[in-house]
Amino acid sequence: MTVILETKDLSKSFGGAQVVDGINFRIEKGDTRCVIGPNGAGKSTFFKLLIGEHEPTRGQVFFKGQNISEFLPYQRVAMGMSIKFQVPGIFAGLSVEEHLTLVLQRVPRITDLQDEMGGILDNFHLRDERKVKAGNLSHGKKQWLEIAMALALRPDVLLLDEPVAGLSDEETRETGDLINKLKTQGITMMVVEHDMDFVRQVATQVTVLHGGRVFAEGPLKEVLEREDVAEIYLGKR
Amino acid sequence: MNTTDPTNAAAPTGAKTPALQPWKTLADPMLLLIAACFFTPLFLSEGGVSNFAYCLIWTFAAIGLAAMWGFGGILSFGQTAFFGLAGYCYGVFTINFGDSPLSTWAGVLSGLLLCMALACMLGYMIFYGGIKDVFIGIVTLSVTLVFETFMAQTAGPQWAIGSARLNGFNGMSAMPSLSLPGMGADNILLEGNYFLFMVLVLLVIVYVVTKKLLGSVFGLTLEAIRENPHRAEMLGIDIRRYQLLIFIFGSTLAGLSGILYTVWGSYITPSSMGLTASAMPIIWVATGGRRSLAGAIIATVALLDLSQELVVYGSQYALVLMGLILLVVVMAMPAGLLPTLRDKLFKQ
Amino acid sequence: MTLFTTIYSFLYQFGDSFAYLTLSALGLAVIFGMMGVINLAHGEFVMCGAYITILTAKAGLPLPLAMLTGALTAACVGAILEYLIVRHLYNRLFDSIVATWAVSLITQQTMLIFAGPSIEGLSTPFNSFELGEYSFSTYRALLPFFAIAVLAALYLLFFRTNYGIYARATIQNAQMAKCLGLRTPRIYSMTFALGAGLAGLAGALYAPTITAVPTMGSSFIVPAFVTVVTGGANVLLGVLPAAGFLGLIQSGMTAAFGQLAGQIGLLITVIFVIRLLPKGMGHLFTRR
Repeated sequence: MTVILETKDLSKSFGGAQVVDGINFRIEKGDTRCVIGPNGAGKSTFFKLLIGEHEPTRGQVFFKGQNISEFLPYQRVAMGMSIKFQVPGIFAGLSVEEHLTLVLQRVPRITDLQDEMGGILDNFHLRDERKVKAGNLSHGKKQWLEIAMALALRPDVLLLDEPVAGLSDEETRETGDLINKLKTQGITMMVVEHDMDFVRQVATQVTVLHGGRVFAEGPLKEVLEREDVAEIYLGKR
Repeated sequence: MNTTDPTNAAAPTGAKTPALQPWKTLADPMLLLIAACFFTPLFLSEGGVSNFAYCLIWTFAAIGLAAMWGFGGILSFGQTAFFGLAGYCYGVFTINFGDSPLSTWAGVLSGLLLCMALACMLGYMIFYGGIKDVFIGIVTLSVTLVFETFMAQTAGPQWAIGSARLNGFNGMSAMPSLSLPGMGADNILLEGNYFLFMVLVLLVIVYVVTKKLLGSVFGLTLEAIRENPHRAEMLGIDIRRYQLLIFIFGSTLAGLSGILYTVWGSYITPSSMGLTASAMPIIWVATGGRRSLAGAIIATVALLDLSQELVVYGSQYALVLMGLILLVVVMAMPAGLLPTLRDKLFKQ
Repeated sequence: MTLFTTIYSFLYQFGDSFAYLTLSALGLAVIFGMMGVINLAHGEFVMCGAYITILTAKAGLPLPLAMLTGALTAACVGAILEYLIVRHLYNRLFDSIVATWAVSLITQQTMLIFAGPSIEGLSTPFNSFELGEYSFSTYRALLPFFAIAVLAALYLLFFRTNYGIYARATIQNAQMAKCLGLRTPRIYSMTFALGAGLAGLAGALYAPTITAVPTMGSSFIVPAFVTVVTGGANVLLGVLPAAGFLGLIQSGMTAAFGQLAGQIGLLITVIFVIRLLPKGMGHLFTRR
């Protein structure tokens, strides 16, 4: 199994606050890793460092064996990374169809655009909302549209930052099913999530962040049974 | 930019999938309207034709601004800078090289190329330099004012390029008209009706090209960048490149207006680059609906014509009216006067 | 003696530029820094202050009172403008720029129609003093000190009064401020009026030194927004160094190449500043 994404001593400080501190991380191709940890642990910042939104104060990021620490976000996306942020980032004035057209046009491997689009619309239950302007969609549909876009790029690594935030239990479960279906397609995924049911549904391995550092790592069951992990959530550490 | 944009409500984006763009172009109502304008010399006096041509001249700058602002989200106050620059370039070129068809059309080309070069440099500094939102407006406004101030103080005889004196506040004058090579000794001078036809032909070309450009995936990408630049970047789009390209496109169109203006009146002055002048394209485009090319054209011609009527009483009245229209449009009809009226009339 | 007079002459020029930039900019800075609104009608508030000052002084009011009247009138007009127009555009930044520009255009042209191209001005108080072979206007030599005094007064206002605390809280987090019982519309209104009043004050202070024309606002708005953009959104930390820096550039360019060169120097500087210091100079001084 090859390591597809790796960081070495990755760190970021803002002013005086050290938000991410010396993270050595690696994920193998095809893996689904959930990144969890209490609030303020640096999870979102870590993702932003991976996609290039923030410049690290120290350390490097390697993608497919290449040092991409100097690359701009759009270059990393072109290399095969894709991200969905916490806050729904859709284009309010464009329709669902236009969103997907925009993305699918950029993927050279796709030969039949209409066919591909139809598939995505069905998978994400957006067929009825095809012509609706994204600004008018419900919160849940916006999240799905965003995940659909991130996926439509056919990335090698997909970063999802709280993909089920604000979704109902039903929607959360459906999203989980979707993620599990994607696993079979060989996409490597990293998911930041607070919703433990969702984490249990999709994760094989978890990484626990605390105070900007990697606190624990390993198979889901093992990590969640550790007492010290429970303690950091309760603020005892 | 997550501020609510009221223009979303009234402006239809239409089907943008390339597969759904059949050759309805020829049946476009705006094109038919422009084609109808070829017949206006039958109804208008010589002065009327000249006046109509004058109003049409400015439509290119308006189309350029609509493309940049309405589609790209770039509010550039620099249209009049490129307008003036291209005008002066044409003047300098033709005063130095004469009035043959080759010389005059080369003058046109040189003006356009100068605009493209300058827009490229300025745009590079702005978009690749990370200047965003409101500051784009401030920088472009500053550039416009620099040009105006600079040209205004070129009064002495040392301020000349070749045999063309820049003349400070009074501006440059007496440049030749455009002409086409004719049979025999005389060239066909493009004045009067011919000038009008030429402008209309240019308008058709520019309109079709712009519409195709903005209706393509390039246009869709531009709109995505306008709506949520951050997200667009995360989809792998190099937003700087798109912004630069549309900026060059829109600014060069302003240059085309400037050249035609210089040809029409045979003069160009720094006041065409002033603070008040730079407001005008914004007023027309805001009124016409900044996402509508047809609206931009119609609003420009209508408002300019209106101003001309009022100038008789004093240019102040015309400007007060323009200001009031802008204010009303911004406050009550942010999607534009024309789109709002169209929606009200056709959605009943 | 000559060296001293040359040095003083340069200092005088610099002080003159500095005062002009600071006083022009304060009103705009308060509104932009506190509310994020770029008020392009700023120049017209300056004009309002100037005109009212001149009219009331000619009607018999002592000059200081006339100036105060001018500033207060501008503040009132500002409050009206905020209520009618600006208030509706708080989350539409571009539209507020365009709308205030429209107001500026309308005001200038309407004044031209009703008040004519210019009105008879006032004479500069205090006459002049001489140093070597140069003579300087005492009044204009004093203006830089006055500018600093106004800045100091603003500092006291924002950091030592209740209004100041409410205003800063509202600006930083309007939602939270409302939850704490602050009447945010009132605060925005007062802040806008303050900005307008400061603009009017600039107009009032310069009224005795220039010819008052309806379009005089244009000569204030450019230095104003150049200073505000260079200084950044932080009013107090930004305007002072910005005005100092730009004052140097302007007086230097004017001394070397003339008035218009000074103007151009300012504009080019702002372009570079935006490019190099996107958050303005004030940002350099805050701990981030």
